[in-house]
Amino acid sequence: MKRKVLSVLLTSAMVMSMAACGSSETTEAPASNDAAASTTTDSAAADTKADAAASTDTAAADTETAFQLTEPIKAYVDGTVNYVKEDSGKEEFVSQLNAAISEKMGYDVTVEFTALDHSGYTDAVGRMFAGGDYPDVMIMNAGMFRQYMTTGLLWNMADAYDNAEFQSRLTAPGLNESLKDKDGALYGFTPAIGGGCPTYVKKAWLDAVGMKAEDIKTYDDFYKMLEAFTTGDPDGNGVNGDTYGFISAGLYGEEAPHINYLPDFWQDGYPGLLKGEDGVWYDGMQTEATKNALLRMQEAYQAGVIDPVSYTAGTKEAREKYWSADQTGSAGVFCYWAGSWYDNIATNLEKNGVETELVQLDPIAEVAAIGGYLNRESPVWVIIDDGDGDDAREQAIFDAFIEPMLDGDKCQTLWTYGAEGTHWSLKAESITTGTGEKEKTVEYAEGEFHCLPTIADPTTLFKKNHIDNAAVIAPLTNGYSNTTDTVAASNTHFVNNCVDAPQAPSCDTITNEGVAITDAIKAVISTVVVEGGDVDAAMQTYVDTVGSIVEQALSELNAQ
Amino acid sequence: MFEKKKVMTSAGVEVRKKPLGLRIWTNRGYYVMFLPVAIFVLILNYWPMLGVRYSFYKATPITMNKGTNEFVGFANFTKLFETDAFWNAFQNTLELSIMKLLITTATAVIVSIFLNEMGNLLAKKTLQTIIYLPHFMSWAVVASVASLLLSPSVTGMVNGMLRDWGVLGEADKNIYFLADKEMWRPIFYIINIWKETGWGTIIFLATLSGINPEQYEAADIDGATRLQKMRYITMPALANTILTVLILNLAKVLNMFESVFVLYNDAVYDVSDVIGTYIYRQTFAVALPNYGYSTAVGLFRSLVGCLLFVICNWASKKVRGRGIV
Repeated sequence: MKRKVLSVLLTSAMVMSMAACGSSETTEAPASNDAAASTTTDSAAADTKADAAASTDTAAADTETAFQLTEPIKAYVDGTVNYVKEDSGKEEFVSQLNAAISEKMGYDVTVEFTALDHSGYTDAVGRMFAGGDYPDVMIMNAGMFRQYMTTGLLWNMADAYDNAEFQSRLTAPGLNESLKDKDGALYGFTPAIGGGCPTYVKKAWLDAVGMKAEDIKTYDDFYKMLEAFTTGDPDGNGVNGDTYGFISAGLYGEEAPHINYLPDFWQDGYPGLLKGEDGVWYDGMQTEATKNALLRMQEAYQAGVIDPVSYTAGTKEAREKYWSADQTGSAGVFCYWAGSWYDNIATNLEKNGVETELVQLDPIAEVAAIGGYLNRESPVWVIIDDGDGDDAREQAIFDAFIEPMLDGDKCQTLWTYGAEGTHWSLKAESITTGTGEKEKTVEYAEGEFHCLPTIADPTTLFKKNHIDNAAVIAPLTNGYSNTTDTVAASNTHFVNNCVDAPQAPSCDTITNEGVAITDAIKAVISTVVVEGGDVDAAMQTYVDTVGSIVEQALSELNAQ
Repeated sequence: MFEKKKVMTSAGVEVRKKPLGLRIWTNRGYYVMFLPVAIFVLILNYWPMLGVRYSFYKATPITMNKGTNEFVGFANFTKLFETDAFWNAFQNTLELSIMKLLITTATAVIVSIFLNEMGNLLAKKTLQTIIYLPHFMSWAVVASVASLLLSPSVTGMVNGMLRDWGVLGEADKNIYFLADKEMWRPIFYIINIWKETGWGTIIFLATLSGINPEQYEAADIDGATRLQKMRYITMPALANTILTVLILNLAKVLNMFESVFVLYNDAVYDVSDVIGTYIYRQTFAVALPNYGYSTAVGLFRSLVGCLLFVICNWASKKVRGRGIV
């Protein structure tokens, strides 16, 4: 009996303590609303303060010199900052970056990087935020940025950006201007254009099936090429039909713009919410263009022209299959990032003994009709607002971390090429790359900029840290460049054949119900493309499942 | 009203219980030793339970840190019960877990009996080691190997074999085992059998080794065949253990996550999405998740889990004469 009484008492105690915690939260709510209100007021006050500061440069300068960063700057980064990964020369990069920033600021500043897994970045950041672990600066992709920019978490860096030293050297000033909201607030900064994915073709395969890249002008030509790669023997192993026309890292990308790995199939279709030329948002999923795109993919997938693993493949799997030493089961066409990735793919093909030139196709007529390949919204650097109503610390972080990224000299070089002596050098020396027949030695004179062999594989060279020198919006002033002719040509080709990707939508419904919409879109793609189902029936299921949610999202977006 | 029950020794002498405080003081050494465990359990098992309050709030990473979570009452639960995807995940969890439990238990019993019948000790030990090994492989590795073997590409081994054996004709497409709604569950069960059967045999082999050999000798004298001995001696001896294993595992059926997470994809959500993966997507596949909703799903799962546990405890008392706890 005693035990029963004791167990009842213990249970009651636990329930009461839980209820007490709940009630304390309830009483906190109004207070927190006040806090929210005060934050808004504070930020408004801060804006006013910043406006005043902007009008008087002297005052701004005083604020800048008054605040010194005594704690290390905490930075969360994804896989796009290459030299903070393991075995990549992280210590040297961070040490030289700290020294360069300290020299610029006139006092000791240190940066602590937390490199999070690229594919799980959003998850990891969400988990850390939930635990109250906030960085000072971090990278956000476009979708993430649009969700967070209205939360009050991000610092409005508009004034800091407008007064930055690099303004006079910007070659694409419109890029960050386009990130400002309708009130002129800027919550994220990008040092380079977003880039995109043109269509790459193995020239040796084209030759093997008797086709030429310049003849691929329309979707029909494109599809015939894929069919020839699928049914013929483009890899020359004597077996017909053991290759594919096309491989892709998924049929719908998790990151906006979701269709850039299959531009030739999606064309003017877009599985997401779009802002029309008249400024009105609409559902791109429920358009004839998207239906037609799905039918094109269905035909290609069902005919075996698209490698079936494309549905579940990640970027690594798709890339490695494309450049694998054994070309059986590989594909002739792959849409991937322009610029340095052109070089990466070509290098890996060569390294694996695949004798082919990589051709970057001009957009087919149907893609050209929408302006070309999609140039994605750039990932941005954001500064986390500590919410104390005083901008001095955030301004200091901008001055120490963001602004030097485009200083044209030491810091920008570090962000572009990494650390001197580890990732690049100016010393007179000979560098050997490749193995066997592919081995190549290049002599460099004293003072000649060149990249050094990687730590993991000394037969290949370091190429890029974070900023792509060919895509940066304020060029280096020291003239350092490892941009090869092929990389430059790839970038130029892309820039000449691209159009800005649709703006990622952001509203409460997207935040709360985004997963449901994404799942419904994926279900349509799976039903139509993978299973070969009826497109109208799949679309109806989509409408039945998330139609009301989409309507709600559209009404919120159009009310903004 | 409450008559104190007397405790007597076998000699009929009444044992007088000391007061609680005195008993604690007398056994203080044990209590001090237990203290770290109690603290550990309180912090790691009970403290996190306070998080269930978030199921009544709209709680994003931002509002949680600022302490500005908005109280929404039962809104998260209302949304949960109105969402088809949740009920689909709930149904899948039960179906997949129970089927997996039945299939892996059945195969473990069969394999145990075969192993028990093996006369060559070296062969028996070798086979046991081989079938135990997959249990120690991580699900991520198992999924990678399975994806390679079952690839729908021309390099996929299983599809290649099916083609070589004539099961797939020239006009047939390769089978996308892991993205086919009809194929996914059988594949999932097969992988689970391969991975967990060996480990599952341990408890059954222990039971089999405890059967009195005299029963088999007596059966031999009576002229029983091997099959008859299995039917009338081995199986009845195992029956209680089988029931125990089923009951103990039935209480955990809602905990399924990892094995599904590494093998599923959006083409087979209808047949593979379980509560664990549904919570994961709601929480980590979005830039700004509402932890309140995820917590509501988790709380609902826990409540159903508790109910299952009570049922299993009751069943255990009926079958074994004692409960799980």
